[in-house]
Amino acid sequence: MRRLTPYLLLLPGGAWLLVFFAIPMGFMLTQSLAQGTVDTGFNLTWNFGIYPDVIGQYWELFVRSAGYALATTVLTLLIGYPMAYTIAFHGGRLKNALLLIVVLPFFVSFVIRTLNWRMILSDNGILFGTLKHLGILDPTFHFLATPASVIFGLTYNFLPFMILPLYVAIEKIDRRLIEAATDLFASRRQAFWRVTFPLSVPGVVAGSLLTFIPAVGDFINAQIIGAANPQVIMIGNIIQFKYLIRNDYPAAAALAFVLVAGVLLLVAIYGRAVGTERLTS
Amino acid sequence: MGRGLSRLLLPGFTALVVVFLFAPIAVMIAFSFNNPLGRQNITWQGFTFDNYFSLWSRPDITDPMVTSLTIAVLSTIVATIFGTMIALALSRYEFRGRGPMNLLIFVPMTAPEVILGASMLTLWISLGTARGFFTILIAHIMFNISFVVVTLRARLAGLNKSLEEAGMDLYANERTTFRKITLPIIFPGILAAALLAFALSIDDYVITSFNAGHTLTFPLWVFGVSRLGIPPEVNVLGTLVFLIAFAFIAIQYWAQRRAGRTAEAGPVTMVGR
Amino acid sequence: MSDPESRSQIELAIDQLMRRDRITRRSFMRRAGRGSLALGAALSLPSLLAACASPGSSAAAKKALEWANWPAYIDIDETITPSPTKYPTINAFVAQTGINVDYKEVIQDNADFLGTLRQDLAAGNPTGWDVISPGGWVVERMGRLGYLEEIDHSKLANWTANCTDYAKGLWFDPDNKYSVWWQGGITGIGYDPNLTKREITTFDDLLDPAFKDRAGGFSDMRDMFGLTLLSLGVKPENATIADVTKAQKKLLEANGRQQFRGYYDNTYYDSLANGDLAICVAWSGDVSQMQLYDNPNVKFVIPDAGGMRWNDNLAIPKKAAQIDNAHKLLNYWYDPVPATALSEYIGYFTPVKGVSEKIQADAVAARAGGGGASPDPATADLYDTLAPTVVPTADQIAGTYPDKQLSEAEEAQWNDLFLAVLGG
Repeated sequence: MRRLTPYLLLLPGGAWLLVFFAIPMGFMLTQSLAQGTVDTGFNLTWNFGIYPDVIGQYWELFVRSAGYALATTVLTLLIGYPMAYTIAFHGGRLKNALLLIVVLPFFVSFVIRTLNWRMILSDNGILFGTLKHLGILDPTFHFLATPASVIFGLTYNFLPFMILPLYVAIEKIDRRLIEAATDLFASRRQAFWRVTFPLSVPGVVAGSLLTFIPAVGDFINAQIIGAANPQVIMIGNIIQFKYLIRNDYPAAAALAFVLVAGVLLLVAIYGRAVGTERLTS
Repeated sequence: MGRGLSRLLLPGFTALVVVFLFAPIAVMIAFSFNNPLGRQNITWQGFTFDNYFSLWSRPDITDPMVTSLTIAVLSTIVATIFGTMIALALSRYEFRGRGPMNLLIFVPMTAPEVILGASMLTLWISLGTARGFFTILIAHIMFNISFVVVTLRARLAGLNKSLEEAGMDLYANERTTFRKITLPIIFPGILAAALLAFALSIDDYVITSFNAGHTLTFPLWVFGVSRLGIPPEVNVLGTLVFLIAFAFIAIQYWAQRRAGRTAEAGPVTMVGR
Repeated sequence: MSDPESRSQIELAIDQLMRRDRITRRSFMRRAGRGSLALGAALSLPSLLAACASPGSSAAAKKALEWANWPAYIDIDETITPSPTKYPTINAFVAQTGINVDYKEVIQDNADFLGTLRQDLAAGNPTGWDVISPGGWVVERMGRLGYLEEIDHSKLANWTANCTDYAKGLWFDPDNKYSVWWQGGITGIGYDPNLTKREITTFDDLLDPAFKDRAGGFSDMRDMFGLTLLSLGVKPENATIADVTKAQKKLLEANGRQQFRGYYDNTYYDSLANGDLAICVAWSGDVSQMQLYDNPNVKFVIPDAGGMRWNDNLAIPKKAAQIDNAHKLLNYWYDPVPATALSEYIGYFTPVKGVSEKIQADAVAARAGGGGASPDPATADLYDTLAPTVVPTADQIAGTYPDKQLSEAEEAQWNDLFLAVLGG
């Protein structure tokens, strides 16, 4: 009976994932190797050539999506780290309250938040309209539908995914270590870079993964804030178009698997760089 | 330079970021009181409370919300149970097939939602299943299991086995040990995983859109009606959710402070602190 | 051993969120009990109230006709409490026939919508819709593939009596076997003269570098390529792949200098109305509504070289649940009374005879007052302006062109060419 226990525990969840994830994905994988149309049916022709095809056609979009995701990760880190640090070290009794306040906006559906941002950032809206009226901005300035605006939207939406892990890591750093460093004549800056920051790295790693991975496949920000401008669309938009409008399931599936493989590869490289134990988060 | 300026810098920065975080929320709340003439809700056209009152008699608005909540609660319960079981198995037992199992759990988190949704849609079509409430539920349970496992697993790895061994030394069998010692210790972790699953489920758009058929969940409904501008009803619901979350957190915080930092019984607490 | 780093960061964070100090399961349950009771009560309050307010709603909804339509295609009255909907003409139908209608504005794009139906239809499953409002080419495709129920014209007395000539026997369904005309319109250019600082007359105006980043394109392949082809002197119905490739190159050239802010679906309405776009490809009826309700400055123009003439249709997908009731709904819209009410709101081309005259009559009535209502010159003026626009004029018909009938292979080619324009 003991022998069976692990398998019994794994059974319900494992079976669920097998039936509703692995098998459909496996089917999509074979569909990527098929050819045909949605009306006449798809035939498995082992068309491995589709993979170099889609990579050759869309490598720029893969790079762009990775670039946006990377920019998002860096920005959320730059914004989130001081936030987490301030709350953890200077929050005092209000620590929890502050953290909750930071996370509170994200209880509202992300679609609503993104749509409202689009309204705020419109050419003559609350923000830019006022600035143009005051003469600070050129009347032809616009922000929406630019790469910067898409990265802005991504950064906003993924900020809590970076702040929370950072906060946890920073908060539990033993202050006495920092005290010890300053006792040994380290300046505040040295104490930070040599003691605090290295101890917070697990949080940085967790936050980076939680931000980068979903950001790469995002398409909502490019659609709503980016107005689906050709210069800013991401690989997720193409996969969606190919699947839903063009009904080109083989190409859509191939693109998706290239994306998954690419992400796993990047995660593996990142894991090597920072030490694999830290990845189990 | 000195401490004076840097004292101000960090809190100042934090305050600025908080403003940034709340900007769309503030706009949402403000425009929930707008009384627009046409389909647009971008210019102020008169203050009104009407939107809040007219909401309750609009099943086309409240139905999606109820659907979302129901699915979130149900999928959270199921995914948490399944996920906890998997996490327990992975962290405490030896068995074959650990590698593939890990892959099975991690890959759903890396695949783009478009394909997770699309692959399930293909499954339903080939089975001839009508899409609706149950297909959405099944999909949500599917992607939530991974998050629950990942959230719980590291926590379980740090579990101090000696407590359980003590229980067994005192003649408790495996089941009793689990119920009375293990479960209470890991319960905070389970709760955290459940919260995450709930949040993910209630806000999901992409996977749901593939599995929903004609059923509307809250994010789907918002996306649909906001095509020609954000109707005030959307802002009203967003504001209400925000206020409820705020109230919930405030109550918890207040109750906590009233109870004080009672040092509850020593070892049977959060592990590792 | 208990390695702090190996603990889940998020889980710890959420731990922190929930409680700072140590806590046993018992005390948590106490607090959680209180908290979740409050939360549960708060969150179920809306549904309780909703249930009290409309006791039979979900039961009735089960038997409702499921109708998929585009946005901005129905009259809306925000001031009335829904009884059962906020669309007066639909409410009248429900009152007349006792058949409930579940009206869903889910169609944003013809290709997109067809994509949602195709897999089910190809597998022989019902789609869940009773009535849909597809464009012409979709009807042609679906009809040919056997995806639509045949219309029983014996049940459409109103259509036989009242349908105008220009609204029947069109290229995509010459015998009206599968569809009847819903509303029609023109794809042209919408613009705000205050922002463009000049009048707009041609498609090439859309590509004027002066409007860089403030011009909007369409994500509908047929509309966008159609207008471009016309600007190159080619009629879309005769366009060859070589022609379409030229059109593609023209648009790619504009993309290269970032002329278009984006290629929009229905959502262009937002950006054109609030001034983010100075000039955009637009639908005639949308601009009429925009002028009335959202931005009176915006104007609509048919490009010199030609605009695209289109119409949407009412059709019944295969294996619809309530075919008979669906026919009743189709028949209802050819009654001049609801047709007039509809046209007075949405401003597209109507297929029903006599609507234009009835709108004029309504204008006269509004101006005179009477029957308990005071004279309403504003509404009267509105109707006066509107009356002639609900019927296409000879000029408009001459200046606009229909889509080409594309085979699947051709459509795939055109779509692939267009995807490059969209940035793929």
